[in-house]
Amino acid sequence: MYRLFLAIRYLLTRPINLLGMFGIALSVWALVVVVSLFSGFIATVEEHVHSASADVSVSNLPAWAKWSKLRAALADEPNLSAMAPRLVHYGLIHHPGKRPAPPPLPGRTALHGGDQPFLFVLGIHAAEEAAATGFGGWITDPDIAPELRVKDPQNALAPQHGVPSVLLGVERMRAEGLRPGDTLVLTTGVLRTAPDGTKSPQQVQIPLVIAGAYKTKHGGFDGNNLFVDIGTLQQELLEGDTDAVHEIAIAVRDESQLDETADRIARIVHRAVDRGDQMARGTAQTWREKNLAFLQSVEHQRALLKIVLIVIMVTAAFLMLATLSMMVTEKTSDIGILTAMGGTPLGVTSVFLACGLTITAIGVLLGIGVGSLTAIYLEEVRQALLWAFGIDLFPLQVYNLDRVPCHIDPLWLVQVAGMAFGTGFVVSVLPALRAALYDPLISLRGT
Amino acid sequence: MTPPVLAASGITKNYRLGKQSIPVLRGVDLAVQQGEILALLGASGAGKSTLLHVLGLLDQPTTGEILFDGEPVQNLPVRERARLRHSHTGFVFQFYHLIPELTALQNVMLAGMMTKSVLQYWAIRKQARREATEILEQVGLADRLKHRPSELSGGERQRVAIARALLARPRVILADEPTGNLDSTTADGVVDLMFRIQKERNLAFVLVTHDEDLAQRADRIVRMKDGVVLSSAAVR
Repeated sequence: MYRLFLAIRYLLTRPINLLGMFGIALSVWALVVVVSLFSGFIATVEEHVHSASADVSVSNLPAWAKWSKLRAALADEPNLSAMAPRLVHYGLIHHPGKRPAPPPLPGRTALHGGDQPFLFVLGIHAAEEAAATGFGGWITDPDIAPELRVKDPQNALAPQHGVPSVLLGVERMRAEGLRPGDTLVLTTGVLRTAPDGTKSPQQVQIPLVIAGAYKTKHGGFDGNNLFVDIGTLQQELLEGDTDAVHEIAIAVRDESQLDETADRIARIVHRAVDRGDQMARGTAQTWREKNLAFLQSVEHQRALLKIVLIVIMVTAAFLMLATLSMMVTEKTSDIGILTAMGGTPLGVTSVFLACGLTITAIGVLLGIGVGSLTAIYLEEVRQALLWAFGIDLFPLQVYNLDRVPCHIDPLWLVQVAGMAFGTGFVVSVLPALRAALYDPLISLRGT
Repeated sequence: MTPPVLAASGITKNYRLGKQSIPVLRGVDLAVQQGEILALLGASGAGKSTLLHVLGLLDQPTTGEILFDGEPVQNLPVRERARLRHSHTGFVFQFYHLIPELTALQNVMLAGMMTKSVLQYWAIRKQARREATEILEQVGLADRLKHRPSELSGGERQRVAIARALLARPRVILADEPTGNLDSTTADGVVDLMFRIQKERNLAFVLVTHDEDLAQRADRIVRMKDGVVLSSAAVR
């Protein structure tokens, strides 16, 4: 009983111990809030990326790949619900008679793309694309202003007065002041084969008319891609080869079987495009694999922040070590009298250990409690700071979000509490052991 | 014949100073009977305090035996010796050694908590508080219960220390220069109090002092010099 009693009395009468408690609480709070924010952000980014991707994408197909053959081969895959061919090219767009687009807005760089005129050109078959991806929803998204919407979503890429149609990301349309009906010119290049068999690059300019805007949740995709009818690209770039295909977008029935399905699809594609040399050609990637570098970069940032915050926790632990060590030094007299009254070295040790663990426990509970509340009400906190000080800690438009994302992982809370308790235990044990090693007679002699 | 409540037989104690061994006690024999006041008298460095610490199981003798009720106890495990210190022996020191964060009442109550678990103490908390209050009233500190040591005079602090030593109802009180830090008037009051309680409770009382007048108030004086008992004589 005396251990707990003395530990509490020591803590209550020595406010300096609050420093260690505050340090632990602060580091735990930061670990909870920042990691919850990043976990929420990662979950949101994954959702956004997934929304702009097919479940499985077959890409890197060789030049001789034929859509008809691949479609027939893939039709036997049991987990495949829909597939759509794509031609993937690239080019510069400009609006004839208008000044070039303004420079990028501050903060809207790589994540969004969308501010430079170099884009990927996706040649699609609108109806098949709508079955295999979220294309149908992208062109009817309620966030698209009525004046920018596609007038006839059922025939989104139908030519207008003989001019091929194009769909642009809604942010690009807004930023550049484009409207449906405006004309654009896509400038690109293609390798042409001369009669003597030599190949040389040639400029190709394709006039396009804007059919409207599309919007996925992934701003980076919207900013960097435009859609045209697959037939336009086949005609302009592939000399009318209507069976050419560069990429296949595939929707699956059961997402839990995604990886296995992608493996099977890869084998089917390899067999379908193999010309007898056993060289595997074409890759089948799940939406996560296709965006792995981007998703991993966000994950990497979270891991780095965890390390930084754990270092802060260790720093707080050193603060606690210092205050506990000071306390032990000042309490040598008490160690003597406790021994005289019937305390054992282990018992005296546990008084100081109890002090350290009490500080840690309160710090951890405070940190987790306040941290969880902060994480839950992070959007409200952001708005309050914005209202009171004009400081926007998390500019939502940069990340294409409508509120600060947050995901509190109970396992992470347990891990943080475990780390804090482990650290607190170590820095409590050291001064406690020092107390146990004091010779009680030295203090009792009063010298 | 009843064995002495506390006895020392052939006690030696050497301290190491680097490679040197410094003898502090050189074969001390001593016996304290129940109800006896024994004064250990000697100059500084005679080995009185060391003998007191060895008798109170705070320190281990190099050789020799310590006997409680005739049973050797010096080689008991640490936990057992701690239990004996708590239940058989009460200590009073020259510098009081009260815990500054606690009130007078809490300092005394702390002695009752030493061998109890939280649940055990919780069950007897009211009784423990009552007993601590009664002992403090006995030593004349009824109006100082909630004062901290820094708010008490030297004499009052020593009375709290005496009350603390008495709480566990020990059979032996070991007092190391209990008046060494007090003025003569206060010291007289404290000694009167200690001896009155000793008589009331029939305690064995070992008093370390270098004050000849104080020693004369004991039942027996054991004179020490250079770690050796020179004489042991009853006071008339």
